[in-house]
Amino acid sequence: MDAPFLALRLAKTYGDFRLDVDFELRPGITALYGPNGSGKSTTLDCIAGLVAPDSGEVRLRGLALFSSQGRVNLPPERRRVGYVFQDSLLFPHLTVLENIRYGYRRTPEVHRRVEIDALVEILGLGLLLKRKPAGLSGGEARRVALARAIATSPDLLLLDEPLASLDGAHRGRALRSLKALRRETDVSMLYVSHAISEALAIADHAIALSGGAVVASGTPHAVLRHPSVRPMAAGEALENLLEVELVEHRAASGLTLARLSTHDLWLPQVDGPADGTVAVSIRAADVLLASEPPRGLSARNVLRGTVTEVGDLGPAALVTADIGAPLLVEVSPEARESLGLAPGREVYLIIKANSIAVLG
Amino acid sequence: MPSNDELRVMALSLQVASVGTAVGLPVALGIAWVLAKSAWPGKSVLDTLVSFPLVLPPVVTGYALLLLLGRGGPLGGLLERLEVDVVFTWGAAALAAGLVALPLMVRTIEVALAGVDSRLEGAARSLGAGPWRVFATVTVPLAARGIAAGVVLGFARGLGEFGATIVVAGNIPGRTQTLPLAIFTDLQVGDDAGAVRLIVLSLALALGALLVHHRLVCRAAA
Repeated sequence: MDAPFLALRLAKTYGDFRLDVDFELRPGITALYGPNGSGKSTTLDCIAGLVAPDSGEVRLRGLALFSSQGRVNLPPERRRVGYVFQDSLLFPHLTVLENIRYGYRRTPEVHRRVEIDALVEILGLGLLLKRKPAGLSGGEARRVALARAIATSPDLLLLDEPLASLDGAHRGRALRSLKALRRETDVSMLYVSHAISEALAIADHAIALSGGAVVASGTPHAVLRHPSVRPMAAGEALENLLEVELVEHRAASGLTLARLSTHDLWLPQVDGPADGTVAVSIRAADVLLASEPPRGLSARNVLRGTVTEVGDLGPAALVTADIGAPLLVEVSPEARESLGLAPGREVYLIIKANSIAVLG
Repeated sequence: MPSNDELRVMALSLQVASVGTAVGLPVALGIAWVLAKSAWPGKSVLDTLVSFPLVLPPVVTGYALLLLLGRGGPLGGLLERLEVDVVFTWGAAALAAGLVALPLMVRTIEVALAGVDSRLEGAARSLGAGPWRVFATVTVPLAARGIAAGVVLGFARGLGEFGATIVVAGNIPGRTQTLPLAIFTDLQVGDDAGAVRLIVLSLALALGALLVHHRLVCRAAA
């Protein structure tokens, strides 16, 4: 049997807090989800080699990065693990380009899989290259930090809350950057977030941490529905983070037409030319469900889909409807009952154009 | 205008203080790094030892240096075999200047290094830089302002060094007689006017050092 991409088993005690986790990663994007203080960042620090676990073993592609038994503790610079910190941690004395080149220069040519020009293009950094980090916005700094880490062609990229504390356009931009990187490079990522919506939008797999221990793992949707994860997720305003393709502006109505898989989707007017993609957010609580095709409706978007899953989320019922992509819908338990919502049921999803937030 | 003799004294003083500071800087950087960035049981001993040249009478520091470098001293034997004579040369004066400047440099640089976010250094490590490279490319540039301040402070202290110098280097006109020693000599022989002229020179040098310091700090801040 092949060794797992990343095999991790570690214990670390800080005062009263004990982190004790054991999991494996497959290639692709894995979300490490959990509330603040659940041990997510410490786990990343242990993988990167910035913090030594008390005991355990970390293996990346079969190579021991850390092993308390084998007395192995590779220094961070020899682990080929990239790290995008929550507060970016750009070098303030270097320009954006020098920051990005910092790790690239130290990457042996045989390991290089990405070139700086390509990264600058994907992440839209062209105009920033000569600036110093002090002059960047939080979102720009985050993108530079992403480029800096990926420029080392790491085997695994660690991302600590890459979308947190970004608003609107910057959040959309960062989300699309991550998706673009995923398409254009094949770097595997471990993505830490306290927002399950992000895990659902970006990750192939998810691992939920609580109180320093793994409580669930699987597909992001399966993790969301896990009994020990539901209470954590219930406090969060669940949103569907989607990337849609712009089609045209309708100045008269102040709307923009976009395409989501095979459906037309009307959005509030988007700035700029109507080409390329934008990220949008649709709150699960803002979607209505109908069991029949609705008529005489003011809402612009009616999408036909099929229920794939129904479950509880706190007091509400959480429905996943497949419209070419899975969309989460929160409904009341009464509505669930009266519409007879169950997997396989055909439904109509009603979304007001104005309840769609265009992130950019 | 200063006479040729006075200019020679000044040039020698600058040479002694510069070389002393230059020799002391790597040592100060190393000690400051250990004090600011590492944790080990004996650290407080080093911490205390570093302050010794600051609190001891400089004459004692000079005598210690004399014992170390003189014939029969631990380093003296080695120097003798290499046929290098340090004691009672300007080199000894430079070493004395460097040694008394060391605590000031270490303390200033230590604060500057401690002010560099260790997570930035961690980020540099994760980007593939080893500890030395991180020190050279992240820690030192970010602490440059404080390091420069430490160097200038040490240099100014070295210029004024008297007690240790006279013990380990003597007071040989044209060879080891720095400004403070020349002032002392003038006062001893009653040449008050000569002493005052040298004092004015000292003031000018100190002022120059402070101006350089100011410019360095401003450039680092920009």
